[in-house]
Amino acid sequence: MKFNPKILFLALVVLVVSLGGRACGLASNFTQTTTLAVFAGVIATTLFFWERRVAAAFIGVSVLIATHAMTLQSILKATELDIIFFLVGMMIVVGVLKDLGFLTWVIQSIINRRNMTGVSFTAILCVLSAVLASVVDEVSSIVVVLALVFQVCDMLKLRPHPFVLIAVMATNIGSSATMLGNPVGIFIGNKAGLTFAQFLVGATPVALASLCATLAITVFWFRKDIRAMTLAMARHRRMGLGPVLEIPYRTGLFILLATVSVIAFHHQIEHALALGGAENKNAFLIMTPLIVAGILMICRPSRARHYVEKDVEWWTLLFFMLLFAIAGSLNEQGITQNLADELTSHVKGGPKGMIPFVLVLASLGSAFVDNIVFVAAFTPVIQELVARSADYSVLWWALLFGACFGGNITVVGSTANIVASGLLEKHGHNPIRFGTWFRLGALVGLVTALIAWAMLTIFPSPRPASAEPVPEVQQAEPAELPSLNG
Amino acid sequence: MKRNADLRLAAYFGPGDILPHCGELSRDEIVRKLVEDVYRSGSVPPVGIEESVKAVLDREQDGSTVIMDGLALPHARIAGLAEPRIAVATSERGVVWPGEESAVHVVFLLLIPQDKPALYLQILRALTTALKDDATLRTVAAMTNAGDIHRFFESGKAYLPRYITAADIMARDFLTLKDSDTLQTCVDTFIRHQVSEVAVLDRDGDLKGVVRAGELLRVCLPEYLLWMSDLSPIANFEPFAQVLENERRTWLSEILVKEFPVVSPDTPAVQVAGEMTRYKSSKCYVREGGKLVGIVRLPKFLNKIFRE
Repeated sequence: MKFNPKILFLALVVLVVSLGGRACGLASNFTQTTTLAVFAGVIATTLFFWERRVAAAFIGVSVLIATHAMTLQSILKATELDIIFFLVGMMIVVGVLKDLGFLTWVIQSIINRRNMTGVSFTAILCVLSAVLASVVDEVSSIVVVLALVFQVCDMLKLRPHPFVLIAVMATNIGSSATMLGNPVGIFIGNKAGLTFAQFLVGATPVALASLCATLAITVFWFRKDIRAMTLAMARHRRMGLGPVLEIPYRTGLFILLATVSVIAFHHQIEHALALGGAENKNAFLIMTPLIVAGILMICRPSRARHYVEKDVEWWTLLFFMLLFAIAGSLNEQGITQNLADELTSHVKGGPKGMIPFVLVLASLGSAFVDNIVFVAAFTPVIQELVARSADYSVLWWALLFGACFGGNITVVGSTANIVASGLLEKHGHNPIRFGTWFRLGALVGLVTALIAWAMLTIFPSPRPASAEPVPEVQQAEPAELPSLNG
Repeated sequence: MKRNADLRLAAYFGPGDILPHCGELSRDEIVRKLVEDVYRSGSVPPVGIEESVKAVLDREQDGSTVIMDGLALPHARIAGLAEPRIAVATSERGVVWPGEESAVHVVFLLLIPQDKPALYLQILRALTTALKDDATLRTVAAMTNAGDIHRFFESGKAYLPRYITAADIMARDFLTLKDSDTLQTCVDTFIRHQVSEVAVLDRDGDLKGVVRAGELLRVCLPEYLLWMSDLSPIANFEPFAQVLENERRTWLSEILVKEFPVVSPDTPAVQVAGEMTRYKSSKCYVREGGKLVGIVRLPKFLNKIFRE
């Protein structure tokens, strides 16, 4: 078998992180060093051997148990099953929306529009990508939006690459706007103890401002392609951009609005049902997609198995579970506490001074490994810092925006990017080159990170109840809600 | 491919199984005589003579077994037979073979065990290699002594290959389109020739991909329409009208499938079966130096392995 030099890089990363961790004081004994090595090994595998990430996570978890870094029980507890349930429910709901034609209607209603130009199409594409990503999820969103891009570009005989890039960038930014948009969002929201409404208030304005900036940048960046689209659309006006169809959408729209509405009021519903305390943190937020998915599967029994088997990304979810468990080992072994100590002693300026540090770190980290990987790794550190002072809760937002916006920097930065590249190739087009992606991605990543930094520094961010010194039981107190949004 | 010394064709028959200069006999008479020869020498097959004769003649009814000018290979698969049995007849003047224009000079009768599906093709390859041209065939037909004929096959190149390859089972006549052809040409080809898949070549004649009727439907029905389980909103084929308007402007290079089963001529036949299974395809393309040299079609493949 031919030797793959990437194996050498992987071994080097593991060695550097393990020895570096010891030298920096993050790990002081064998178990801590092993934990660091396992974590670095799994992260490096996602970077160098993307297809083997689940295999690496399996082995990583086993090594942690074998070396007493974690017990079987602590591994099971750290798999964050609540988040996995939430994602399963949402994936089924999205599957039903596809099945009912709602997502087809979304595409169709844009194709049916008359007198579009390249600029208006780009603006619609940006907004649609961001909105869809924020209410369904980034992967479903990119699949829908790229179906639109391919339809229009095939019809007009244009290269789809610029519009794929625009759609992906807008999707990554839009996915940060709500808890529903990105696994990172629900993970951070849940870990921070934020309600859906708090998350919305904290994330949407930054996402919106970043989206506007991205639209401006991409319209300028791809001005020639957009102009070519305007000319092609003018030539094609008589034929239209696709078949003009009337797709029934009301049922799908109702399901989506009902799901989002119930999720939006989960905090109030939890209060009404007396679902308080740490054991039931965000219980109804997690339950809502499951309830909706359950009702939909009861109503469509012949399709229920299809939804569960085909629409749920079990491979990805399995990886998430194992990854969360491995990241949990850093906390269990006290490595995150050591890292938090190092950060507070080296990064001056308190919580606000740490915002750019976390933003840059999360952006760069997410540019090269899947953003959930980085967030899972960094979350225990922020939890530790927030436990020391509630003011550090602003770092949850820095982590969120860094992870989501940093995903734009490279082609492997987020799951949406990888899915988009795959779809591009599946449609017979050449993949987008690393350099082409990086030039635009780095610019968009930089500008959006600056926007996030400015807004997080200037405007007060919603602070989770869990960041306060009061116990989480009081999170359900209705009197607390107004101050949370302040 | 390496020859297999253990699988010499001459090992399956002896001089006693050879009938030189069979004279004025008809095809059916030759078949009967050769079957009787087989039953006379060596172990007796588990079915009766009449049954074997009928099986061979029934196979002839399905299609002539003349595999090249002057050479016929009447055969049948016999259940329970342990080893293949061969008997040979020659005729310098030639035998009239029903359905064939030219006379047959060498007749190889084969009784093959039913549970050895590839054996017929291996023997076929050994024979076509040994009697590769008309002159060799005529030399064998002119031999008057059974011992000489047997020695010819013993000393010549008549070895059974270790396995049959894509080249043994592929068809060499096939339709192709160019990647610069339009969707209109492609649809016309599908309809005119009643096919559902055609190979697409580039301007240098290299195999670039295939177009499938299923892919044409995919062009007509974009993926986002297929997300819906209920397609009644497009019951009147509205998307097809759009494609119809565009069919002269859609090039095959835009819609051809680049992932399809492709092998080289010396690929073992079982690998060909594997590729077709892997791609859930009923065709496997045989490529040599970038050029398409043949196509293995599943029905033909099954026929060769299970029936012929």
